[in-house]
Amino acid sequence: MKLQFNLNGCHVEIEAPADTSLLSVLRDYLGLTGTKEGCGVGECGTCSVLLDGRLVNSCLTLAAQASGRQVVTIEGMSLPDGSPNDLQQAFIQYGAVQCGFCTPGMVLAGEALLASNSQPTRLEIREAIAGNLCRCTGYQQIVDAIQSTAQKRQEVNPNA
Amino acid sequence: MPEFQFIGKPTDRVDALEKVLGTAKYIDDYSLPGMLVAHTLRSNLPHARILRVDVSAALKIPGVVAVITCEDFMDHGRFGYPIADMFMLAYQRVRYVGDGIASIAAENKAALQLGLDAIQVELEELPGVFNPLTALNASTTIVSEQPWDAPEYPRGNLLTHYVVRKNDPQNELARCPVTLEEDYSTMHQEHAYLETEGALAVPWPGSSGVTVYASCQSPFINRGNLVRTLGLGEDNIRVIQPQVGGAFGGKDDLMYQISGQVAKLALLTDRPVKMILSREESLIASYKRDSMQMHVQLGADANGKLRASQIHATVDSGAYASITPFTAWRSSIHAMGPYRYDACHVDTDVVYTNNGYSGAFRGFGNTEVCFAIEQAMDELALMVKRDPIDLRLQNCLRPGDTTPHGQLLGDDVSLAECLEQVRKLSDWKRKHAAYTRQAAEPLTPGEFRRGIGVAAVFHGMSLGAEGVDFAVGTLTVNSDYTLTLTSGLTDYGTGSRTAFTLIAAETLGLNPQRFNMPRPDTDLSHDSGPTVASRATVLGGNATHVTAQRLASLLNKSAADLLGCREDEIVRHGELYIGPKEEPATFELVVEHAHKIGLTLTSRGRWSSPEIHWSMETGQGKPYFAYHFGAQVAEVLVDTGTGKVDVTGFWAVHNTGTVIFPQGACGQLYGGIAQGLGYALMERVDYDNGYIQATNFDEYLIPTALDVPDIVGAFVEKPFAAGPFGAKNLGEPGVVPTAPAILNAITNATGRRIRSLPASLERVLLGKDLRKEGSSTACKLGLN
Repeated sequence: MKLQFNLNGCHVEIEAPADTSLLSVLRDYLGLTGTKEGCGVGECGTCSVLLDGRLVNSCLTLAAQASGRQVVTIEGMSLPDGSPNDLQQAFIQYGAVQCGFCTPGMVLAGEALLASNSQPTRLEIREAIAGNLCRCTGYQQIVDAIQSTAQKRQEVNPNA
Repeated sequence: MPEFQFIGKPTDRVDALEKVLGTAKYIDDYSLPGMLVAHTLRSNLPHARILRVDVSAALKIPGVVAVITCEDFMDHGRFGYPIADMFMLAYQRVRYVGDGIASIAAENKAALQLGLDAIQVELEELPGVFNPLTALNASTTIVSEQPWDAPEYPRGNLLTHYVVRKNDPQNELARCPVTLEEDYSTMHQEHAYLETEGALAVPWPGSSGVTVYASCQSPFINRGNLVRTLGLGEDNIRVIQPQVGGAFGGKDDLMYQISGQVAKLALLTDRPVKMILSREESLIASYKRDSMQMHVQLGADANGKLRASQIHATVDSGAYASITPFTAWRSSIHAMGPYRYDACHVDTDVVYTNNGYSGAFRGFGNTEVCFAIEQAMDELALMVKRDPIDLRLQNCLRPGDTTPHGQLLGDDVSLAECLEQVRKLSDWKRKHAAYTRQAAEPLTPGEFRRGIGVAAVFHGMSLGAEGVDFAVGTLTVNSDYTLTLTSGLTDYGTGSRTAFTLIAAETLGLNPQRFNMPRPDTDLSHDSGPTVASRATVLGGNATHVTAQRLASLLNKSAADLLGCREDEIVRHGELYIGPKEEPATFELVVEHAHKIGLTLTSRGRWSSPEIHWSMETGQGKPYFAYHFGAQVAEVLVDTGTGKVDVTGFWAVHNTGTVIFPQGACGQLYGGIAQGLGYALMERVDYDNGYIQATNFDEYLIPTALDVPDIVGAFVEKPFAAGPFGAKNLGEPGVVPTAPAILNAITNATGRRIRSLPASLERVLLGKDLRKEGSSTACKLGLN
């Protein structure tokens, strides 16, 4: 079937079987390999993307469900010049990255949280990333990175 | 402590940028024109004779390009280290559920599935061995055969046996006023790296050789196995490590089989071949942390001074040896804990069964025995009415002590400092007193109770007296004044590339930004043995240090010539070389001058570990050149109505020596503790008659961000003389004492001791299991 949606700000149209997952469309059809597959059953969150601003597991989302909607992947997070945004920069600075396989999903989970809650507590951050497994970091430096980004954004734009 | 320019300062991980941007390439992110996809047909029986494998029908399926079995490899693809008892694909028998039988390459996944269904396999089921404790009975089926080149292995199902011997503990125990005798058991643990196994093989023109991109830990061992089984020379095989999405010890043997299969298929088809495992296949086919059954006897004076220990352990190696002979040796050396005894015996039996198979996993055998001895120490503390930290301080190894193995310890030993610090950080005295008082009161079901527990660890550095221990590094100054650094030890997320870069930068007095460090590649770096056993920082770090010193000496010669002075007159300020007379010279000028006077600015350095020795017969020696020490405290909140345990606080103090890469060191510590928390409370690999019961993350639970508390970590940075800039190993010890600290805390809260892992709801609530889990169905669904 023919699918069209907005991907990282660009209109895309592709032809794919009706049972194709959004993850497969991103990776296999569009070559965007920043979104990972870790379990295929919606448990690990490495395939997380934003669908109309909401965090979803793209392995459990049919591509057809994205039709006409806005999809944002890790490739859409960086600044226009390709450099990391403030949250990505905080992940680097706080040592929130080890093997890096969960990192794209974690960054998106962090962004999804900060879009709806500009001043999250550490517990709220932990709740927001609880669907994204990380086996390397013990999560602490990821929580640090998201928290510091929230604080910095608040300083820049106190009314957000 | 000396002041460093770069070491111990905040630094960005060298590969963090590409990882946060999502541009880092892991193995499944590779795609090449004409690439075939591959899959392994795996056994769904735990033990069977292979009567027939007929691939002819599969080869007729449109889109199926090649099918291989063990017959396509030299010596049936036999490999393995330290014992070559595995095959690239099963030979004659399958020994566990998930053992590979045949491998297919096809144009697409649909053809691949049809091809798998068309392979005809006739198996004759054999009796299986599932209980490690009865594996050595005379009437039990024999799991493995003796490889012709390993005459000492195995004897029946006994893969190997290790001893530690100091005096006669039974004699001592008979005279001790306080004795303890208990059984402890741990179960298998899955590494659960978020990236599953995978490899891509790219044939060279005319199939004259092959390049394998493999998500593995040790590219040189991988190449060695390929040389041995493909019949090609070392020069015809190149193994490159892409970004690895976690390993924790788990990406060795199965990865070597996958690499062998795709390499063979690529050579046969003259096309690139990629294989990626599903999570189910990964959980079923991959090796685990071994399970152990431990019988512990301790004897002490009435005031708690330890006098004797006698420990017997049975290690389930499963269907193959993998590196379990090494991990079980480490278990034996560490089984008595970091304490002084007048007498100590350890006996470890390593047995074959048909329960999957076991291999390396962070902690490398120490995690299992630490669970037993650190709970036993707490049980002893209760018996002699001593505070658990006081009891450990009373008995712990200190500088100048001799271990039960007969090893005289140096001045780097810092366990007492770790225990004292963690006591302070965790507000232990107040909490332990309060929770102990509360535990004495009758329990109202449904009440929430708090508890606090401690555990200590010592962890021998690197491989120990079983393996040849060295690492090699190289450095090259490039024409654009950058430097390329290589190491044969790999970075699968640990941060070792960053640590090596900092060590080289510090040694040379050059900014870390000048350095680039390619990922390991057998064509570009030098064999440095396996990247396991917390080897990287000390072995690879020292090799880097030696390499950088050699280059620094060349640069100094050039600078002295340029500045018209003696080498020893040169002073460094930042990157500048300053002589007594001339204007300071930049690094660029010094490099240019070196070229003018004909110096080649490359260096190569090797570092071997100090001498160690061990006698398998007498059970005495110097098993490791030094040890890491640490102490952890866990605080828990137990729901006595459901058995649910929340870890609400965690403190860890480790004797790391100099910390080279602080964010990395903290990350290793926190990550290790999170894995230990999972091991303690939720991670459960049940083998039911050889069938694993959890095949994905919906059944195999690992800690989420809500399960892990904020951790307070601290390092005792007493410099370690033999380490690079005073650093010790760090990767593994974080995980080792976590589970016993948590279980000791649970006992402190509830008064109930759990001696088997994991501390599941029913074990916490009732002290026993309510049900036998599962069946073979779930496992079978994940295969083929």
